[in-house]
Amino acid sequence: MATSFPRKNIIFLVRLMVIITTAYFILFSPSASKEWENYGYAFIAFYLMTNLIVFQIPEKYFYDDKIFFGFILCDSILLPAGIYLSGYAGSDLYLMYFFIILLATISSRLEYLMMSTIIFSVIYGWLLYQKGFLEGPTAISYLLRIPFIIVIAMFYGYIITTRLKDKDRRINEVRERYEQIVQATDVLMCIVDNDGKFLFANQKLVKFYGYQDEKSLSGLTISQIYNEDETEVEKSLSYVKSVYQNNDMSQYESYDKNHGIWFANTLSPIRDPSTRDVLAVCIISKDITDRIEKEKKLNDTVDLLIKTRDQLIQKDKMAALGRMASGIAHEIRNPLEIIYMGLDYLENNLPDDNSHIRESIEKIFNAVNRADNIIKNILAFSRKSVYKITQLPLCPLLDNVLTLAEQMILKNGVGVRREYDDELLEVAGDHDMLEHVFLNLVNNAVDAMKDCKEKILTVRAHKQLVTEVGYKTGYRRADFFSIGDEMIVVEISDTGKGIPGEALPKIFEPFFTTKPAKEGTGLGLSIAHMIMDRLSGTIDVESRENQGTTFFIKLQPTIKVTDAKEM
Amino acid sequence: MKENIKVLVIDDEVDFCYFVQKNLIQNGMFDVIIATNGNDGIELAKNEYPDIILLDLFMPDMPGEDVAAALKENSATADIPILFVTALASNDDIVDSKESKIGNNYILPKPVRTKKLIETIMKILSKP
Repeated sequence: MATSFPRKNIIFLVRLMVIITTAYFILFSPSASKEWENYGYAFIAFYLMTNLIVFQIPEKYFYDDKIFFGFILCDSILLPAGIYLSGYAGSDLYLMYFFIILLATISSRLEYLMMSTIIFSVIYGWLLYQKGFLEGPTAISYLLRIPFIIVIAMFYGYIITTRLKDKDRRINEVRERYEQIVQATDVLMCIVDNDGKFLFANQKLVKFYGYQDEKSLSGLTISQIYNEDETEVEKSLSYVKSVYQNNDMSQYESYDKNHGIWFANTLSPIRDPSTRDVLAVCIISKDITDRIEKEKKLNDTVDLLIKTRDQLIQKDKMAALGRMASGIAHEIRNPLEIIYMGLDYLENNLPDDNSHIRESIEKIFNAVNRADNIIKNILAFSRKSVYKITQLPLCPLLDNVLTLAEQMILKNGVGVRREYDDELLEVAGDHDMLEHVFLNLVNNAVDAMKDCKEKILTVRAHKQLVTEVGYKTGYRRADFFSIGDEMIVVEISDTGKGIPGEALPKIFEPFFTTKPAKEGTGLGLSIAHMIMDRLSGTIDVESRENQGTTFFIKLQPTIKVTDAKEM
Repeated sequence: MKENIKVLVIDDEVDFCYFVQKNLIQNGMFDVIIATNGNDGIELAKNEYPDIILLDLFMPDMPGEDVAAALKENSATADIPILFVTALASNDDIVDSKESKIGNNYILPKPVRTKKLIETIMKILSKP
């Protein structure tokens, strides 16, 4: 067994030896006094019993020096008593024997033991000589005691020092292993004091912060080397202090802005084994950038899912509304037709000079027209019309839209900017539908600038790579645009009053309008949205109040094979 | 004096028929006869042989497409032009229904004003 030589065993063995030798002399010594014999047995019994008790005492108490040396002191008193009881004349030899063991036990090194043994032998020899033991026939037996003492001392000394060396080696082994663990680990590890001063730092930390070795960190504090915001540094120091105060672990996350790395820091107290006071704080910092980034990605994905879900609900809502509306629209058109025809009849049968009634009829006609217009727009939702998707030159189409809107643009004093990246850009789309969408957006833009000083309408067209996941944009089969694809983006910007934040999510909802009842049906953008869906494109908006609005229309550059299926 | 154009209106909307009749007759160029369901319409077409038939698509007894098909099958009425006047239609539907039974007939979405109706009728009749 490669265990160390524990103090408990030393005590136990020493006492066992005392028992054996004492018993031997009581039983076999020629000069043993018979009258003391019973006391001798009692002594042995007592010793055996106390040894049993000693054996029961937990190991750790022997490392308390008071107990350990107390035992030794106690035994060194009891042993002469035992020898005295045994009545053996030469018992002084065993007193020596015990002293050597005593010396060996407390000596940590063989040299000291040997030195003290030699000094002791010299004194002992001198004493023997003085007392006259070295004369006569017993001289030789007394003289032999000296080498005997030395040999025994050497023997025990050897055992104890090898044990100690063994222990040292094992301690070193353990220390090395811990050192290896500390240095091989992937985390930044350090031990700091109450002020955050480094007491220890592992190589990983030293290298991470760009220092040569651990020594160059001495005297520095964590706040001096952590590359955090000032508030973060305050935070890390306050955590160290809190560990001192609460005598408990604590954890926090920090961001190293220089390295762009997130850390999860665990601070644990290093305690005094007896008082349990905090001596220092061990800080272990683990790089969790990956996790944080993944979390962020996950959050983004969740956001996107929520957004997409909302849009799908929206789409569903619009579809349901469309179906219902078309049913209603059909039912309303018949009575409208009757009103039309009836009004025609009334108009034709009016007395000549009845301009009031003629005017009233005109107003009714206008009202019916408005109703009919709304119905036409509503029907666009339920339409299962065929889109003729072809490869279209984009810029002429946009120019045409601007020409169609020219009168309104001029009337409102709006300046038009055309920023086409490439005059030859082509898109896959239905000419009339796209024209409808663009015209609608241009109309809206001009309307939005009515009361503004600066009136500039910008129409941009450019090619763009799809890089971000978004509505109908990503990796799914149903997405219109896959990451890495090319798309054609048309931007229609105005410098108008902008869309209020609370209205922004609603603008594609049918019947949502901010315009007066006569001017808008609230269907323009929802139809544009629907058309874009049918064209496998998307429409987005960005708006700042009092600064302007930009609509982004993203279109397919070429006809997709899947388009045919979706139609 | 030229003979009036005879128009047959087949529509379940009685009031529509009423006003079409009033307005067209008032115009002076038309004679108007009315049927408020498909079967009556087919009968009238056979008996009266109108110049043009205005036909609704949605009717309770039989849909306009079936009426049109029946008229086309009968040699007596096969060459009478049919103009669908319907609330179902808008321009998109015309494209959509090319393959349906509406076939080569003309279509006019409701609501329509008298002026446009007359224009359309004249346009159809003036075609060779």
